[in-house]
Amino acid sequence: MLTRDLVLAALFTAIIVVLGLLPPITLGFIPVPITAQSLGVMTAGVVLGAKRGTIAVLLVLLLAAIGLPVLSGGRGGLGVFAAPTTGYLIGWVAAAFVTGLASEKLVRAQQSGLMQGIGFFVASLLGGVIVLYAFGVTYLALVTGLGFSKAFLGSVAFIPGDVLKAVIAALVGRAVMVGYPLLPQRA
Amino acid sequence: MRTLYVEGRSVLHRMPPRAKLLGLATASIVLFATRSIPLLGMFCVASAAVYLLPRLAPREAFERLRPVLLTIVVVGLFTLLFDSAIEAAVFVLRLTSLMLLAAAVTATTGISAFMEEITRLAMPLERIGLVRAADIGLAVGLVIRFVPEVLARTQAIRDAHHARGLKPRMLTLAVPMIILTLGSADEIAAAIDARGLRGQN
Repeated sequence: MLTRDLVLAALFTAIIVVLGLLPPITLGFIPVPITAQSLGVMTAGVVLGAKRGTIAVLLVLLLAAIGLPVLSGGRGGLGVFAAPTTGYLIGWVAAAFVTGLASEKLVRAQQSGLMQGIGFFVASLLGGVIVLYAFGVTYLALVTGLGFSKAFLGSVAFIPGDVLKAVIAALVGRAVMVGYPLLPQRA
Repeated sequence: MRTLYVEGRSVLHRMPPRAKLLGLATASIVLFATRSIPLLGMFCVASAAVYLLPRLAPREAFERLRPVLLTIVVVGLFTLLFDSAIEAAVFVLRLTSLMLLAAAVTATTGISAFMEEITRLAMPLERIGLVRAADIGLAVGLVIRFVPEVLARTQAIRDAHHARGLKPRMLTLAVPMIILTLGSADEIAAAIDARGLRGQN
């Protein structure tokens, strides 16, 4: 790996950490507050691509594991991996990878802006919602013994917020691609 | 960034990190192997005793656990409602014990001790050419160095919004923050290579 790719991943980790420090937003039509940190996970894939994006997210989890309060709400330490929602944290890694891979496949520099935006949105939805919830719900179902359908029912309230994040991630991805294109140069 | 490590000289502080991590892994396997509520209850009490070993201030000790404890309680109530009381008790006792033990390891193991252990654990991965073990420490150091920088930049972008009478929004905040931050990657990478921190490329 080039030093530049390592630095890009580490800088993006810092961005994800700072996004976790922003206060959560409550929107009228969505029942649960939205934190910006999982937006950072989708954006990592969209902006950096599969390899560097995955490394950035792995670094966030590593920092949390060694006792730094880097997760939203100042959470950190090995204790956060003992929560019923740990599946979502593990899923972050897969989410960044899938979002990154799909972005690399779907988005080309010569496409129109609209097509790029749609490509990024589909990639974010695939990684940041479908893959993420597959991990989160599976873990919740296994650890509680609730079974899949009930575990899914308990998570459903968070989906609208995450779809909204996929829209924002797509817009961010497109804007960064115009301002500082990284995706064409693969890691 | 303040770490969650607490200075001290308890038994846990003196134990090597590897022993603590192996102990934690063993405990998690044992916890998920049994479904007996009295056994899990005893385990939970013992875990609480371990968590109190490093002698944190009671308030601080509770504050640290609150976010995880809250999700455990919420999901526990959900399980109670949609499944059985036994399932809910097994689940709450298991995860609470695990959380207490994990928090005890975190409170008694410093960042550098953790990093040493992780670098050593990554050595086999280095041998198969997957990562360079030394890169992990370098990356962690970079993140810790740049979080305050990114935070200051975000604040500056927010101020710029206010100066123009705009309301800071997620999108208009995130885009300049990402471009500005990643834009310094080339300089940082050049500085690292100029100092030969990663050896020969």
